[in-house]
Amino acid sequence: MKKTFLINDILWMTLALFVCIGGLKLGFGTFHQPHAGFMPFLSGLLLGLLALVDLIYGLLNQWKTEKSDKEIWSEIGWGKIIITLAVLFIYTALFSVLGFIIGTILLLLFLFRVMEPRPWWVVLTASLITTGLFYVGFKIGLDSQLPRGILGF
Amino acid sequence: MDLIHYLLLGFSVVLEPLNLFYCFTGVLIGTLVGVLPGLGPVAAMSLLLPATFHTTPVASIIMLAGIYYGAMYGGSTTSILVNIPGEAASVMTCLDGYQMARQGRAGPALGISAFGSFIAGTIGIIGMMLISPPLVNFALKFGPPEYFSLMVLGLMILTFLTSASMVRALMMAAFGLIVGTIGLDNISGLARFTYNIPELLDGVGLVPVVMGLFGISEVLLNIERKTKREVFTTKVKGLLPTLEDWARSGWAILRGTVIGFFLGILPGGGAVIASFVSYAIEKRVAKHPEDFGKGAIEGVAAPEAANNSAAQGAFIPLLTLGIPSNVVMALLLGALIIHGVTPGPLLLSQHPQLFWGVVASMYIGNAMLLALNLPLIGMWVQLLKVPYVILFPIIILFCLIGSYSINNSTTDVAIMLIFGVIGYLMKKLSLEAAPMVLAFVLGPMMETALRQALIKSRGSFSIFFTRPISATCLIIALALMVMPLLPWFRRRPGLALEQKETT
Repeated sequence: MKKTFLINDILWMTLALFVCIGGLKLGFGTFHQPHAGFMPFLSGLLLGLLALVDLIYGLLNQWKTEKSDKEIWSEIGWGKIIITLAVLFIYTALFSVLGFIIGTILLLLFLFRVMEPRPWWVVLTASLITTGLFYVGFKIGLDSQLPRGILGF
Repeated sequence: MDLIHYLLLGFSVVLEPLNLFYCFTGVLIGTLVGVLPGLGPVAAMSLLLPATFHTTPVASIIMLAGIYYGAMYGGSTTSILVNIPGEAASVMTCLDGYQMARQGRAGPALGISAFGSFIAGTIGIIGMMLISPPLVNFALKFGPPEYFSLMVLGLMILTFLTSASMVRALMMAAFGLIVGTIGLDNISGLARFTYNIPELLDGVGLVPVVMGLFGISEVLLNIERKTKREVFTTKVKGLLPTLEDWARSGWAILRGTVIGFFLGILPGGGAVIASFVSYAIEKRVAKHPEDFGKGAIEGVAAPEAANNSAAQGAFIPLLTLGIPSNVVMALLLGALIIHGVTPGPLLLSQHPQLFWGVVASMYIGNAMLLALNLPLIGMWVQLLKVPYVILFPIIILFCLIGSYSINNSTTDVAIMLIFGVIGYLMKKLSLEAAPMVLAFVLGPMMETALRQALIKSRGSFSIFFTRPISATCLIIALALMVMPLLPWFRRRPGLALEQKETT
């Protein structure tokens, strides 16, 4: 049994059910006068039916042509992925508060270190130069409205 | 005569210094993102979209279009020298291009790829010039049922060609339709699935979705894979293909051009599919199909020609019908709307300088690309040596700033990260992102067309089958849905590719 694909189909069916209920709450209307929930309900129904077909097909042939759970999930550096994502979400949350320059220097310090450890002075120099180049390119060159944050520029 | 008159108008537009500058910038950035794995034309165009707000619509579209077809040129360099496709449309070039490089023939591989791209691109532009005006007259007959059915057909073609499992591709299309319903309802103004988040009232932005699915997910995969890139050759010699190379590639380029152009026009088609199909056909018609995958020059020439002519052909449905045939065209649609230009049948008469300016810019852009990709190949090779540890933080930063600067909203950045995770999981489960994105873009248009058609017909679905254009589209869509059930049709190019990739 390849649990990955079983769980995948169940999750899609759950989402479909959720969207169908949401669509009905918004109001399906009639075919003559479709309301706001018309399209969400139909899209949810379509997704649910397709996920069900995929599930039945998978159960019947035991997902023979698919990769095994081990092939999909083994040898993944989960630590790096989760930490990278966590740092990116934190950066997003603090982007407006810290501002572009401080936030980005801190983010790059982490990102340049995460793939392979290098001396701190190399990482710091690379972070400062990259942030500076992006600031000049986007803020000054393209007039992007990057947040000023605590530095005020 | 009209055609020549309009073409001259186009050249007068593109030869203005500002437009010429944007054309060069576009093709240069296009080549750059094509060469660099992980940052494709979609991400680059999303990123630079806000930068075009300050310029004219013509210059903006010229630059964005240049990024697209420029990436088609640049993508082949990475495929041939590193065996990693710079962007999705260059996947097929890896198969024989890299083998040619291993045999010491990187130069001819790069040369035929650039010349083939140039020939195909030029023929594609001529086709675009000839087909667009008559298509506009045809498009004026379109009402809501026709638009809805055509979009259904587009989605069906894409799901049919891109994935081994049509059911899963359709699931992704349905997911895209759902995401497309988030925000205010176009007709009643009711908020849908917004959960009191004001930023969601306008719907989920295309740029964060695309950057997440294609940019961030790719970075996450690269963090996981720990792949080591090896540039196969440092000194590229003999870029000019020999007479024998030309003899073997000539017909392949022409076939690739024609296949690519027509697949590019089809809603749901595009450069990626065109390169898959042209490679499969080339292998089928070859005298020595056993050479494919071992360094056959036709295996480089055909997909490269196809992806370039498809890139030109894809502009036709957008500029004449207002329907984007792929994700890149969806971005261009967004750019046109932001600049106050509504693409569709009236574009040619209301904004001739834009349409013909873009067409003329493609001629000049293709010539610029030939110069950028052949004499300057050494520079791109050097660029490939930049380690991924340096590239990936920069790619992430591009994505973060790109998604933020559209609305100056951190919610958009969070949405991008969420779609990055979704995209990563989709890739792990071999679920296609392309049908999802196209359905997401077409969803609101489809919904409006469907509801308008039903209101018009007083709730009767017969309106879709009694009008000839609509009925034809739906019958073809239905046929495409049924075809995978037929045993002999299981050997279609998309499936073949997927099997090749998994082995």
